[in-house]
Amino acid sequence: LVERTTLRKNINLMQLVYGTSAPNAAIIEKQDSIDDEESDGDDFFKLKGEGNKKLKEGSDGININTEDCSKFTKYAGRKNWKEEEIYESIRDRFVTGDWSKAAQRNQ
Amino acid sequence: MGKMTYKRLKGSQNLRLRLLLATLSATPVLIEDIRADETIPGLRPHEISFLRLLERISDDCLIEINETGTKFKYKPGILMGGKHIVHDCGVSRSIGYFLEPLVVLGLFAKKSLMIRLKGITNDSKDPSVDTFRSTTLPMLKQFGVPSEGLELKIESRGSPPHGGGEVVLSVPVVQSLQAVTWIDEGMVKRIRGVTYSTKVSSQFENTMIHAARGIFNRLLPDVHIFTDHKAGPQAGNSPGYGISLVAETTSGCFISADTAISYVRGDDIGEMEDERKELMPPENVGEQIASILLEEIEQGGVVDSTHQGLLFILCAICPQDVSKIRVGKLSPYGIETLRHIKEFLGVKFVIKPDPSTGTVILKCVGCGLKNLSRKIS
Repeated sequence: LVERTTLRKNINLMQLVYGTSAPNAAIIEKQDSIDDEESDGDDFFKLKGEGNKKLKEGSDGININTEDCSKFTKYAGRKNWKEEEIYESIRDRFVTGDWSKAAQRNQ
Repeated sequence: MGKMTYKRLKGSQNLRLRLLLATLSATPVLIEDIRADETIPGLRPHEISFLRLLERISDDCLIEINETGTKFKYKPGILMGGKHIVHDCGVSRSIGYFLEPLVVLGLFAKKSLMIRLKGITNDSKDPSVDTFRSTTLPMLKQFGVPSEGLELKIESRGSPPHGGGEVVLSVPVVQSLQAVTWIDEGMVKRIRGVTYSTKVSSQFENTMIHAARGIFNRLLPDVHIFTDHKAGPQAGNSPGYGISLVAETTSGCFISADTAISYVRGDDIGEMEDERKELMPPENVGEQIASILLEEIEQGGVVDSTHQGLLFILCAICPQDVSKIRVGKLSPYGIETLRHIKEFLGVKFVIKPDPSTGTVILKCVGCGLKNLSRKIS
């Protein structure tokens, strides 16, 4: 079971990065074309911003003009590293921690 | 010339990455729809500056931008490198923005690169020049880049909004890189760092260091943070202060975190709301950055989240050999990088989570990029 779950997770990560396989993409495209047919006439008077919103949703919510930044720091929800419990949780990542446990990590 | 096929792309996202990979793989690109719907459409000053920089370090490269800047063509040329090049990075992004792609390009140039970059040395958006020195350059050595001729000199500092800093980057040329097996993140044996201040009291630095040490002291005694107070012409044009920390592990990995505090740029009206009023006091800066560093350490990768993208690129341009690396949680920029690598270089990584440590193992076969221009010389 463990093996299977890891396998599934594995696929998911690959999918997350490289996108879903071909059949899925085809379905999305189909939906898009249906949408287009329905809103045939309305499209003409659509606000520019609205169309944009739709486009954003369509492409997995990715804005094509996002800022180019390699730094990724989430400022919200940071742990309070002054609390003993929390800083003890990464004790073994330091040379002051338990070396045998750290060695196990890389097995 | 007429029959050149351009790879068509949309939007300003990951512009640096696209241009870097286009240059390395010699793929002409055409990017359109660049902020076409925004009030100020088209390329931003830093993006144009980066294009000009590419033009400066290569021969026979072609850049055509349309009138509004929403569309441009780029045909990569031959990377030349060379000494005594000066480039003004402007003040819309810091020098870190330019350093990240430049150091990779420099490796594959005809002659070794030595370039003086002017602008903002430290800001909160891009990795600072200190982090670049302490973390990025050692990372290149893992891939067989000689340490001779690989350095970054900080001649003067510049904080946003007016910059005024100057650094000199030297990059040696290589024939090709070496594939790595880099999965041992080791244990943190020491923490180093440097604080800086320009046009403010040097006491700010001591306060930051004190606060950061307060967090680390319970975990590790070997913490040294240096100060770098600049005054006079070396301090650039604006006041500011900041800190860059790096944790070195027993297996030679460097995990970094940095930030900088300064008054925001006048044109960033949208982001002004919460920042303009007060600058974050130095105690909080120290504590915050120490916490961020601990979080990066907790992730358990061989690099921090900021350097994931660069790591993936370096692996992908290795010779045709298997590279194996371990990183923490994939960062959004890292994922984007992986996608672009597949698009431009055709290298697909095998990505496997390692549930026992919460890390991710990536494997790939490099595309075998060789420095062809060097052979000619």
